[in-house]
Amino acid sequence: MTINHRLLDILRRGRSPHENHLIDGLVRGAFSRREFLRYGSVLGLSAPLLGGITSAVGFGLAPSMARAGTPGGTIRYGQIVPAAAVNPVTVADGGGLTVLSQFGETLVFSAPDLSAQPLLAESWAPNADGTVWTFKLRQNVKFHNGKVMTADDVVATFDRLSDPEMGSNALSVFTGVLSKGGTRKVDDYTVEFHLDAANGSFPYAVSTDNYNSIIIPAEFPEDFEATMVGTGPFKLEKYTPKVGASFVRNTDYWGPAPLPDRVEATFYGDYQPQILALQGGAIDVIQQLPVLQAVALLNDPNFTIISTPSSAHQQVHMRTDMDPFKDKRVRQAVALTLDRPKIIAGLMRGKAQIGNDSPFMPAFPSTNPSVPQRQQDIAQAKQLMEAAGVGAGFQTTLTTEKYLEIPDYAVLIQNAVKEIGIDLQLNIMDQGTYYGDAVFGKSPWLDSSMGISDYGHRGVPNLFLQAPLMSGGPWNSAHFNNAEYDALVKGFVASLDLESQRATAGQIQTLLLDETPLIQAYFYDFLTVTKAGATGVVPTAMGHLMLGQASL
Amino acid sequence: MTDLPTPVEAAAPEHGWRDDLRRLRGSVSFVVGAVIVLFWVGCAVFGQSLVPFDPFADDLMNSLMPPSSEHWFGTDQLGRDVFSRVIVGARDILTVAPIATLLSTILGTALGLTMGYFGGLIDEVSSRLVDAVLALPTVIVALLALTALGTSTFTVLVVIAFSFAPIIARTVRSAVLSEVSLDYVAAAELRRENTLYILFIEILPNVMPPILVETTVRLGYAIFTVATLSFIGFGIQPPSPDWGLSISANYGLIGGGFWWAVLFDCLAIASLVVGINLVADGMESTLND
Amino acid sequence: MMLALLTLWLLSVLIFLGGHLLPGNVGRAMLGPLADQAAVDVLNHEMGTDRPLLVQYLDWIAGFLTGDLGQSYAYRSPVAPFLMTALLNSAKLAAVAFVLVVPLGILGGVVAALYRGRAADRILSVVGLSATVVPEFVSGIVLILIFGIWLRWFPISATWVDGAGPLTQLYHLILPAIPLVLILFGYIARMARAGMIEALDADYTRTAVLKGLSYPKVIWRHVLRNALLPTISVIATQTVYLIGGLVVIEILFHYQGIGSLIYTAAKKKDFPMLQAGVMSIGALFALTTFLADLLYARLNPRIRFGGRE
Repeated sequence: MTINHRLLDILRRGRSPHENHLIDGLVRGAFSRREFLRYGSVLGLSAPLLGGITSAVGFGLAPSMARAGTPGGTIRYGQIVPAAAVNPVTVADGGGLTVLSQFGETLVFSAPDLSAQPLLAESWAPNADGTVWTFKLRQNVKFHNGKVMTADDVVATFDRLSDPEMGSNALSVFTGVLSKGGTRKVDDYTVEFHLDAANGSFPYAVSTDNYNSIIIPAEFPEDFEATMVGTGPFKLEKYTPKVGASFVRNTDYWGPAPLPDRVEATFYGDYQPQILALQGGAIDVIQQLPVLQAVALLNDPNFTIISTPSSAHQQVHMRTDMDPFKDKRVRQAVALTLDRPKIIAGLMRGKAQIGNDSPFMPAFPSTNPSVPQRQQDIAQAKQLMEAAGVGAGFQTTLTTEKYLEIPDYAVLIQNAVKEIGIDLQLNIMDQGTYYGDAVFGKSPWLDSSMGISDYGHRGVPNLFLQAPLMSGGPWNSAHFNNAEYDALVKGFVASLDLESQRATAGQIQTLLLDETPLIQAYFYDFLTVTKAGATGVVPTAMGHLMLGQASL
Repeated sequence: MTDLPTPVEAAAPEHGWRDDLRRLRGSVSFVVGAVIVLFWVGCAVFGQSLVPFDPFADDLMNSLMPPSSEHWFGTDQLGRDVFSRVIVGARDILTVAPIATLLSTILGTALGLTMGYFGGLIDEVSSRLVDAVLALPTVIVALLALTALGTSTFTVLVVIAFSFAPIIARTVRSAVLSEVSLDYVAAAELRRENTLYILFIEILPNVMPPILVETTVRLGYAIFTVATLSFIGFGIQPPSPDWGLSISANYGLIGGGFWWAVLFDCLAIASLVVGINLVADGMESTLND
Repeated sequence: MMLALLTLWLLSVLIFLGGHLLPGNVGRAMLGPLADQAAVDVLNHEMGTDRPLLVQYLDWIAGFLTGDLGQSYAYRSPVAPFLMTALLNSAKLAAVAFVLVVPLGILGGVVAALYRGRAADRILSVVGLSATVVPEFVSGIVLILIFGIWLRWFPISATWVDGAGPLTQLYHLILPAIPLVLILFGYIARMARAGMIEALDADYTRTAVLKGLSYPKVIWRHVLRNALLPTISVIATQTVYLIGGLVVIEILFHYQGIGSLIYTAAKKKDFPMLQAGVMSIGALFALTTFLADLLYARLNPRIRFGGRE
């Protein structure tokens, strides 16, 4: 690897201290090329510049263009029926999001490799302490109603989302991050976000990682479902609640001309009928399939499985404030009984990444790889049980929900802890009952001494680190209360450069391994299935399905 | 069904229960049905200690293996032995369904005796209530009750008991109507026996045959209902190897060719309900002669 | 009729109370566990689910009586169109099932009656009754395995592409209809057999034979018509049962009918949808019972023959 310092110096010109720090890290070998690209993109370095820097450092940017598809035709895809009205302000379910992704676009695209890519924003940059982020908007973007998109629309969109009066689902992302009025127009194509607190990964909060952040016209139509005005490559043709939707090519699209003439969405209540529909030729793409169902298609040459790594996981919590898991040695012992590689190979058919009992999955650039991976060790687990005074074992209940592979995972945990004398009863309820009112005292999820809950994908670990683990966090089902942890997370969220993020991450990972309030044994991949030979289908682990460049 | 009370002391005027039993043994459908049912009862009681594998033990490296000499019915998605699970899977449904049936029989018999013996307004009002209960399909009633009260075995029992009781009550009522005019009832009334004595000691033994037949038929439907509820996620809960539950968990796999994960459970349910139905059919044709 | 209305009213109270006993609150159920509490509160207020129960009941029942079935919580749009589509779809499925099962059942019953007490009679009775007790999802899955996956004769999903012709629709509905046919065949054959035997033994049949009519003609003209009567009452009583069966069949075959409407509404705690769905079944029950009584009276042999002779 030869470093072209002269080229590098030219490229460094005009870069902020954070950006130069990142470049230093790359030169020193502290980050890989991939991590550099990914984090550089968060800080707002443009793709050509990033490519220039990596080639100056000697990496060379691999050509990433897939072969061009043929224009025309109709793409028919299957998805889970939206749980509620398709309204960008309130959508809170994957089904609704998939529909939004057909016609709507966000400022930033959180790509499958976890990098932040420009979409409706051309570039962005933070101020020195990460409390103000400035976004430059694309200038040639038109809404489906013919109106040109400007800063006013962006400000209106985010004011709506951060207004407690509107009951927006995005409040779970924006509370403590962005308040109403924090989004300000600088000129027609520049917007500033004045944050409630410093945030090093803010672009993800306005990216496809946020269910609700598609940009819609400032004058939000009363009956959004009837028009679905967005900026995307397809325009609404017809929407039939519970049944499906169809979209046609947007000839005014700002980006590369969309290939398909039409996109047809069919809604399904479950996965099985989608598999049958795909096999029967009624649809060409299944937007998402859990691995349990995808087993049916894994070895079928007629279909291609697109496997997108995600941070989605099934989180096992143990109440740290009451017996039998009050003693951290008992919690460690439980975590030590799991044979993770076997669970990934058998239960998840290899479509998952190993977890180390913290939200830091291996694919996050901020994850500190020097923290040792926890492995199955029954002997040590037994010792820990002895040391905690429960060597003879005990009986307790694992409460969880009937969702995806969770019941099976619960059975595996039940069998695993048998080895150390724990007699685990399973109480598996339907999803609504398990989450209950989602407040302490009225929710088996938050009140059970041990439980398994499903967490969807996020491009950065911030949310996973805060709500389920910070003292008093609204989703803190482990009732974890640790001042040192809280301080570390605050530092992590505020830090703008990857190196310090990674250092803090190492401390957080070590602390969580020691305390083990949660078990994250694996992070499962997001699986999308297409007919063999289909190209250009771009899913995100959040649930978007981008078909603008798709072809069969 | 074997633990149902048999009318021993007060024999019916026409013929004794010993006669019935002897003639039942001659009924082909009764014998075939009884053999099937006894097989599954045996599995439910002793299955756990007889099966080749622990039905709950996972073996992730051998999941979804097709039937072989080692795993006769193959393995499921956790590598558990399907044969062992099907055998042990008889247990929960053969606990819940008979209890539910017994409850509905007790309820229905008490109601039917009262309706038939007293007649008049009581009969009229009760009949209307029975009609109202029958206006909704059991599955829908169960769906409402289970979402309202939460999924639990207890709720399943109560729903089935209350949905089936009216049907049994109707049968008992018509049987009682043909008894009340008979001399032995009048004699008991003349002796000023108390009403409960007349209902349960005098009349009940004589209407036992239709009750037994109806109970057996209901048992078949109780199994039908419990299995269906388990299939739609409101019945028996994991990790039970229950048939309906296993089918519900695995039917998504049939498109991939993993038929063994559901077919054997389907056959098990079908054979059990058909077996019970054959028993009922045999009883009915024998007792009606 | 009064009784039917009373039953319906009782049903409405029960359904409403049942619906509002459901655990969890509506806004939370709709937005999911991870949604912000403020969003949940705003939604509950918008939908009026934070009002007292009695107010909500009166509001609902008043709307119901004036033909306003309310707004679906989940879809924020009127319930009526969903209900209509679902009822129409279920009616199609039920129609296919009836069209298949009624002639088959009557034929089975007639054959059994004509060969009374012989092997054919026994076999038909045992097979028919056995089919009646096998749960629909069991027969449905076996059918899917054999005809959908192994032989690939029929589509496994009952939902057809938008704008498909009646024949395509029929083709999609055959497989889902068979489990219902299996369940109903036993009942209808049994009732037809009983009616047929009664008619064969009746005086008017003997009279007709004595009058010199040929045996097949007698069967066709007198006996068959009378065998139809009990069958009609079976169909009437089984309509309600059939809807219970539809829940499972519609889930299994992914079909947007009344059964799956009620099932998903219950799961999503979409009360207005659930209430409208269950009420429509109650109404259907009242209606079919009423129609069956009318039809029964028209076809009753005593009335017909008494009037003529």
